[in-house]
Amino acid sequence: MKSAPMAAACRSLLASGATLNVTATRRPRAGRADVKCTAPDAGLAERMQEVVRLARHTEGRFDSRDQVVIGIDAAPAPHERDWELAVVLADRMVRGVWQGPAQVLANGWSDAWQLGRIDGHAVDGPEGALLGGPGGLAHLGQLSGHPDPAAAVSSARAWFPLHAGGVADSLCWVEVGVHPLEQAAEDEQTIAVPGQDAARQLAVRQALAAARHFDGRNGAGGRWRTAVRFGQPHFQGRSYELALVLADRIARGREFLPRGRLIATGQSAAWHAGQVDSVEGLAPKCALLLRDALPGDRILLPQAWQDALPEGFAQQLRALGASVACVERIGII
Amino acid sequence: MLGLFKRTTPVADACELGQSAVALPVRTGCTVPPSYPVVIVDARGSTRRAGAAAAKRVELRDGELAYAFHPGPYTVDLLPYAGAPEIGLRTRFVIGADPGATHQRFDLYLSSEVSGRLGLDALAAAAEGALQRELQDGGLDLPPCASIEEWNAFRLGLNELLYMRFGLTVDDCVPVDLGDSRDYAGMLVARARQVQAAQPAAAPVAVVVPAVADVVEPAILDARAVRRLFLELPCLMCGLRLAALPASPEQFRKQQVLLQRLDLLSVGANAMPTLGLAAPGQALGLPQQLRRVGHSRRAAASLDEAWALLARLKGASPALLTSLYDEAERIVTNLETDCAGRRAAEAEAS
Repeated sequence: MKSAPMAAACRSLLASGATLNVTATRRPRAGRADVKCTAPDAGLAERMQEVVRLARHTEGRFDSRDQVVIGIDAAPAPHERDWELAVVLADRMVRGVWQGPAQVLANGWSDAWQLGRIDGHAVDGPEGALLGGPGGLAHLGQLSGHPDPAAAVSSARAWFPLHAGGVADSLCWVEVGVHPLEQAAEDEQTIAVPGQDAARQLAVRQALAAARHFDGRNGAGGRWRTAVRFGQPHFQGRSYELALVLADRIARGREFLPRGRLIATGQSAAWHAGQVDSVEGLAPKCALLLRDALPGDRILLPQAWQDALPEGFAQQLRALGASVACVERIGII
Repeated sequence: MLGLFKRTTPVADACELGQSAVALPVRTGCTVPPSYPVVIVDARGSTRRAGAAAAKRVELRDGELAYAFHPGPYTVDLLPYAGAPEIGLRTRFVIGADPGATHQRFDLYLSSEVSGRLGLDALAAAAEGALQRELQDGGLDLPPCASIEEWNAFRLGLNELLYMRFGLTVDDCVPVDLGDSRDYAGMLVARARQVQAAQPAAAPVAVVVPAVADVVEPAILDARAVRRLFLELPCLMCGLRLAALPASPEQFRKQQVLLQRLDLLSVGANAMPTLGLAAPGQALGLPQQLRRVGHSRRAAASLDEAWALLARLKGASPALLTSLYDEAERIVTNLETDCAGRRAAEAEAS
């Protein structure tokens, strides 16, 4: 497993359009405070320290050997609070709690950092920015796809590899949000897939309905209103299905949780039996997974890939701190 | 020691022993049937077992407490993840005795963490908390679609964890679907109602007046945490000596340093200042007292981590030992920080 970096950086957009740089460094504590903040103005530094300490309440593990020094290079206007998310993320990155992409741009503020909740953002960032609040990043656990333990809507994310000819290969997420219904309704009509064409909507509905049937609980169907969102609007193929089904199971509280993200590829002709079939693109997807896997990630591949996996694939992933399994069917054990 | 555990115990219904209660306090003069082991906790918290006579008549000296417990087996459903309430692990365990050990771990658990009756639900909740914490921190792994090898590794880890932490021997553990008894949809509806109900109440600025109960409660929490430090640190040191046999001279030195630091901590815990006094005869303000309580509770949480770490150290491969020693250093440093915080009368300047 990779050790935590000694320094990390994060950016945030100010209302004036300027970019604010947040840098965090780690050094031996030597009897000093756990967090030290430097900012152009003392009140701001105090608020930064408060935000970081509150956000650390959502972590189970603390380490008093290190001091984290966080600095910002510009003074936002007194009412501006969008820098808060960037500061929290920089603090997590420097301690190795979260590993983000190289250039993180984050805007968001919260009144309840101790719950890990992010209430909103004031400035819209460009494509790829992390924006706090409903519709974007509403909860810190969402960074690895976990449901918010305090929200009334349970939503979980899983990632699937998209093969787009080599350089443009990427991991795309699918998010399943389930909202409890007072009255039972027909399963397929309560599943909404905004932003996708009719064929994809139908496929998603059928896969989810069949996979829920696999639970085998008579009369328990139709308890949920479901919304499914994808990270990218346009893509081909059905290899997202395993990720979709597992995200749905996590959202409904019926699956073990991975420590990091859940990355899965697989489809099925028989979700009602929980069966996982093979998909195309073994070599490029494995290369992508090795490139993008982070510590704590759980990778699930179809059983048919087991014998064809590249040499040392599982060992390399384990060295990164991720784990991989080839599955024949979904379900516990 | 702290006068806390001297309260008179209510008369307990002996019939629930082995059903809903795991251990019950017994008063002096009671006769306990031979199948129920009796643990006697003396005024300094050390334990001994009452003799194995046919029917034991419990004779206690001044300041001693006795517990009779039922060895089980008990069956409970543990939730491995708080976020996944519809799957559980149906676990059957017994309170076994290790014939080789001079002190049983379960006796220590009774003496340091239990006051009065130990219900099965309380024990199950404590075990569930320890399990969830280990899964969250990565000490145990139970990922989605776990393969049979991963499950077996998890089972071994769980056995060690529950034995090291509570002295429970796991007989059997299978994943079960709790969907019929726990309704996640219903729980979410209740959560939504709670949020709605909380919103109008939060709108007017409420002046928080600490009620009398809130002032008393932290003192009890603090006393429990300090008692745990006092009783468990020596046993942890003992466990570290036995469980983590160093693989190289480098690790041997590390282990010696860790043991030394734990020793100092243990001495410090024996002489922990009273919660309410800044100096002899000088009272400490409530905010500072609450800060001290926070530190002592965090130190107690570090003790939990340390037991879980001992469970991982036992039977760890030499390759893993390096990272586990690092983890041990982290825990000991946290303990030192929190014990120093508990001792200080003023918060450190930041």
